[in-house]
Amino acid sequence: MTGTTTTTTTTTTTTLPGGAATGTPRAGGGGVNARGLRVGLRRGWTEYLHLVRDRRELINNMVGTVGVFALLILWIGDGPVEGTGVSQSTFMTIGFLAFTVFSNGLMALPMALTTDREDGTLLRLRTLPGGITAYLTGRAVTFLCQIVVQGVLILATGVVVGDAGLPRDWLTLTWALLLGTVAVVPLGVAIGCLLPNPKTAAGAVGLPMMILMVTSGVMIPVTFMPEPVQWVSQAFPLYWQGLGLRAAFMPDSMLAAEIAGSWRLPWVAVALGAWAVAGMLLAPVMVRRVTRRESGSRLADRRPAAQAS
Amino acid sequence: MSTAVSVRGLRMAYGTAEVLRGVDLDIRRGEIFTLLGPNGAGKTTTIEILEGFRNRSAGEVSVLGADPARGGDAWRARLGIVLQNWRDHGRWGVRELLAHVGEFYDRPRDPDELLAALGLTEQAAQRVNRLSGGQRRRLDVGLGIMGRPELLFLDEPTTGFDPEARREFHLLVERLAADGMTVLLTTHDLAEAEKLAHRTAILVRGEIVACGSPAELADAVRAESQVRWLEDGRERVLTTADPSRAAWELHERFGGPVPGLQVRRPSLEENYLSLIGRAA
Ligand SMILES: Nc1ncnc2c1ncn2[C@@H]1O[C@H](COP(=O)(O)OP(=O)(O)O)[C@@H](O)[C@H]1O
Ligand SMILES: [Mg+2]
Repeated sequence: MTGTTTTTTTTTTTTLPGGAATGTPRAGGGGVNARGLRVGLRRGWTEYLHLVRDRRELINNMVGTVGVFALLILWIGDGPVEGTGVSQSTFMTIGFLAFTVFSNGLMALPMALTTDREDGTLLRLRTLPGGITAYLTGRAVTFLCQIVVQGVLILATGVVVGDAGLPRDWLTLTWALLLGTVAVVPLGVAIGCLLPNPKTAAGAVGLPMMILMVTSGVMIPVTFMPEPVQWVSQAFPLYWQGLGLRAAFMPDSMLAAEIAGSWRLPWVAVALGAWAVAGMLLAPVMVRRVTRRESGSRLADRRPAAQAS
Repeated sequence: MSTAVSVRGLRMAYGTAEVLRGVDLDIRRGEIFTLLGPNGAGKTTTIEILEGFRNRSAGEVSVLGADPARGGDAWRARLGIVLQNWRDHGRWGVRELLAHVGEFYDRPRDPDELLAALGLTEQAAQRVNRLSGGQRRRLDVGLGIMGRPELLFLDEPTTGFDPEARREFHLLVERLAADGMTVLLTTHDLAEAEKLAHRTAILVRGEIVACGSPAELADAVRAESQVRWLEDGRERVLTTADPSRAAWELHERFGGPVPGLQVRRPSLEENYLSLIGRAA
């Protein structure tokens, strides 16, 4: 018993790579955070590749997004909208783009977060220096990749299956889509932190999300809404992203249906940017708080339930 | 600095339930220290407070010179943490995950060398959720030591292992300690603590009831021995803390050999069990 170390050296032939641990101080907080960001970019890309390789996920994606959208267009997407000269498919393409960003951000992202909380992924990253930064960056990158691919598919479906017009302004389309996506991440993270478990996501988020979809101008022009509703809608990123996307696709003759009769592109950038920045500051705090409530023994308690499902 | 962990008067309450009631601990650098106790004793609570995962109710705690409740990234980079039950990153490849974790550190280990040392070279390309329980545990340790930590926390790492897997795991931990790493390991298995630890603290219902090297522990927790002999055709039993003195006195009284003399010293395990019972 007293000779444990002696036994070791005589019975083992392999030694562990690397020498003894030393007390040298590591990079300070700032350095580690920059690293967290860098590692997070790669992490997000790796996780995206895992999703792509997962056949079930891929089929869900194709059928769920492209299939449903193609059917919708074939069903009601014919001809121009009365008195506008803009085709019904174009309207639907824009709406579906915004819907995809929003539903992924408010349902899929929180569900991923609660799953990561339950299986210990978040706890693992908390054990790593800069881990929470890397985790959030990674989630944002994976999400962005998903949106870009689905966005391209939706656009292609709109153009090929329906008669959606190509965007008039690709640059605006790109930044409105990307910035809008990044701006939704904090909302998704917040919901993910508040939900008790993955199964409650659909129930808790479904209704508010549909209401916001209806009131934010991506389905019905926002000017049809009562003024207080317009104000509430403008507090959320969905409205601003929809506006940016419409600016990219629609001729100026459509401005009559917009608040203030303008695309207000600078405000789109400001509103989405503010959401994105606020989220980047707040999300790590929320995630740290929620992982503090997790622990090894709680993972253990949940283990049988998680394995059964 | 020769102390890796120092704990004074640590208390933890969940609501009204007092789980830790004034725990004192000192863990020296380079030693394998086990925290031994039955289920529900508060081992996980203690270790997760030291890891900075839970906020304590009271007491002073210093881990590598810092208070875990306020430890930053630089402090965290010096720790290795292996929790009790991890099912995370199931979709990742084994080597892929090791390399990813290595990216967080200044001087990570080489993933391939580490895989070889863990006996996981064949599983390098496998998905993490396809590993067996024992392989998964070894990977968890690998992930914990990827950044060459000075201090490694292992929470009940061998639960559910067969004897062979357990033996190999012990060798792994001993090799790590031989490299200069400090190891804090929790277990509910006395034999494991006895085999592995330089020093052990026994935690029962949130209190340390004994602490020391295996020999010191055996002394500290020694339950009374039984001395049996035959007298007037009947078996007599004497329970005493000092069996050799009792035997000597009997010898004197009988003026020679004592008929049917038996001395039974309790095993360490019996001591441990009686200790758990006594504290209850
Ligand atoms: N997060 C928690 N909330 C409430 N009670 C807890 C929590 N974690 C542990 N406990 C309780 O604290 C006691 C000690 O638990 P734990 O530290 O996990 O013990 P051990 O690891 O020694 O089995 C148990 O009674 C357990 O039910
Ligand atoms: Mg435990």
